[in-house]
Amino acid sequence: MRVHRLLILAAAVFLLAGCYHSDDEEDAAGDGTATQAQGGQQGGRLLSQVQDRGQLRCGVNDAVPGFGFVTEGGEFEGFDIDFCRVVAAAILGDAEAVEFVPLTAEQRFTALQAGEVDVLIRNTTYTASRDGSEGATFLHTTFYDGQGMMVRADSEYQSLEDMGGTTVCVLSGTTTELNLESQFQARDVDYTPLTFEDNEPLQQAFVQERCDGWTSDKSQLAGVRSNWPENQGGPEALRILDETMSKEPLGPVVRDGDQEWAQAVNWAVMAPIQAEEFGVTSDNVQEMLESEDPEIARFLGQPGEDGAEFDSGLGLPADYAAQVIENVGNYAEIYDRNVGPDSPLDLERGINALWTEGGLQYVPPYR
Amino acid sequence: MSANPVVTRRPPPWRDVRVLRVVLQLAFLAGVGLLVLFLYFNLTASLRRLGIQTGWGWLDEPSGFAIPDSDFRSSQPISDALIEGAVNTLKVSALGIVLATILGVVVGVARLSTNWLVRKAAAAFVETIRNIPVLVIIIFWYLAVLLRLPPISSAVEWGDLLVLSNRGLVVPKIVGEGDQAVFGVFIVAGLAAAVAAWIWRTRRFDATGEPHHRVLWSGGVVLAVALVGFFAGGMPLAVSLPERGDLGTREGFRLAPEYAALLIALVLYTASHIAEIVRGSILAVHRGQGEAADALGLSGFQRLRLVILPQAFRIMIPPLANQFLNLTKNSSLGVAISYYEVTRVTRIAVSQAAPAPQAFAVLMAIYLFFSLTIAAITNLVDRRLAYKGR
Repeated sequence: MRVHRLLILAAAVFLLAGCYHSDDEEDAAGDGTATQAQGGQQGGRLLSQVQDRGQLRCGVNDAVPGFGFVTEGGEFEGFDIDFCRVVAAAILGDAEAVEFVPLTAEQRFTALQAGEVDVLIRNTTYTASRDGSEGATFLHTTFYDGQGMMVRADSEYQSLEDMGGTTVCVLSGTTTELNLESQFQARDVDYTPLTFEDNEPLQQAFVQERCDGWTSDKSQLAGVRSNWPENQGGPEALRILDETMSKEPLGPVVRDGDQEWAQAVNWAVMAPIQAEEFGVTSDNVQEMLESEDPEIARFLGQPGEDGAEFDSGLGLPADYAAQVIENVGNYAEIYDRNVGPDSPLDLERGINALWTEGGLQYVPPYR
Repeated sequence: MSANPVVTRRPPPWRDVRVLRVVLQLAFLAGVGLLVLFLYFNLTASLRRLGIQTGWGWLDEPSGFAIPDSDFRSSQPISDALIEGAVNTLKVSALGIVLATILGVVVGVARLSTNWLVRKAAAAFVETIRNIPVLVIIIFWYLAVLLRLPPISSAVEWGDLLVLSNRGLVVPKIVGEGDQAVFGVFIVAGLAAAVAAWIWRTRRFDATGEPHHRVLWSGGVVLAVALVGFFAGGMPLAVSLPERGDLGTREGFRLAPEYAALLIALVLYTASHIAEIVRGSILAVHRGQGEAADALGLSGFQRLRLVILPQAFRIMIPPLANQFLNLTKNSSLGVAISYYEVTRVTRIAVSQAAPAPQAFAVLMAIYLFFSLTIAAITNLVDRRLAYKGR
């Protein structure tokens, strides 16, 4: 009776454990590279999962104006936010089918590893240790940035060498923290770090003059400065030093082990850049569908001379690029809308211009 | 059939309660063990699939980040960073426990005072602080109080002795200078002499009943010997006075606002809980004890110190131990205000590519170590003071 039930339960637990145990032994037998090669069988399921779910879960920032920010109306806005929409438009055909998951810098990789988000588009810098040790795959760099230092305009610091003995505020869990240490060490200048998880207490500390400098990616500093309240002196009260302390290539990140998903997201993200190169914008995309240029026609998913649409084998719909451009825009539109010279951040294209204009944005051909 | 012999024959094993008990417990243990193994293999397989390392090698990697207010270099391994963090946790927990106990006892006794104002003030303190989450108190003290102290450019200075700003409170520090070996020997000798003095005075008290004043005697012995040693060793101590610069103070002993905010918040919060425990323990002491003390003509303070509190103390030790553990664990909330205690260091390490499961396992082991130590000490005290019968 009771005894029998307990014995059966115990036996069931034994059997279950045995089954899972042997499965894992097979998986554990391969190392990281072997499982990646089997991408198709090994967890190459996220693309179809997202398509079935009908919604993309995107890990984002909610505290950086221009990149990932929540407006007073509760809407997410920013460069990275727009790229989340780009991926959703490409894979699901609907730029609004996105669930934005705000993450702190410390949480972001753990959230990605655990599968809480499908893709992380959160001003994340591509580094070797993150590639190797965080179980992450980095995709095409959407924004080439560098680390900078922001100080109060009335202070006398013109370069990092002047900042001996200062206290510097920085967000924890970022490459900024590590670069700060190595830059100051390389110059043999001593300083005291003060690290915070969120921008709010950090900003408070900076306002109250608890720290003399605030270091972060220059784009983030520009965003913060653009939003600086008038009662603290407005943007003119702050100065960003000219020195660039490091390379910060920012781009989307996906989990290791799912080649199909990584490739699909990668080509989705590169579509706006190719569109700018072809001169396709959200305004003229409908006309461009009739284009005589076979490159543009193929790119926008129009049937070729043989009447068939081009199938790259990526798992994306044939007209994904057209969907992206029509619903979100090309790279220039995304850039100008969020961080360009007409936006509060006022950042020039600089190295983020197309390669044809002397910048670094160059994507492989779509054929 | 026939007569029913009274046999003590054992039933078959599958009906024998004693056998079944053992078998079922073993089966349950085995089940739990297999579940744990299953989870473990699942975890390592997933980590391997993601390419995250599953071992402990990450502890030797250079940390890459700096820890303020310490000599820690970023080239030192992560294990050193964790130790530094654990020391910081210890600094805030140890001092926090001491201060919280003192404040808690005072407030607890105050709540039972015959003075109406004292009683109500203590009650207000306890009821307010107890009902606010610790994190809110910590953030409040940091953002709303300590950061609002004057910035370094307009710091408050009190002669050469004290500099107060939102970068910290700096006071003179005593530093060793020159050869301290002779002085050190005298200090050790002084401590030994103090112990001897303590024992002597206690024995004398037991024999004759004269007040022992043993604290004064031991303290005096230590001071006297230390003084002799100081001069004998060639005065190997110097005072380092704070010097205010534009960016902070050099020299002196600095109390960082992050540390101070965390300490104050933890002390206030834990003291409000300890006050209630103290109050309950005092009320639990038999009323006859208080009446007997009055009958003997003891003053209010003597009654408290000689009769009530010693007995209340025995009662309150287990709940006090609980509060000490809570304080130690609550120190992990220092992450909110940039205090580099061990949880913060672990989180920084994880965000800089240390594997999360192992790092947090180490963190939990560190807290377990602290907690078990506190529990062991309080158990020891409890056993020594426990009521032996009534």
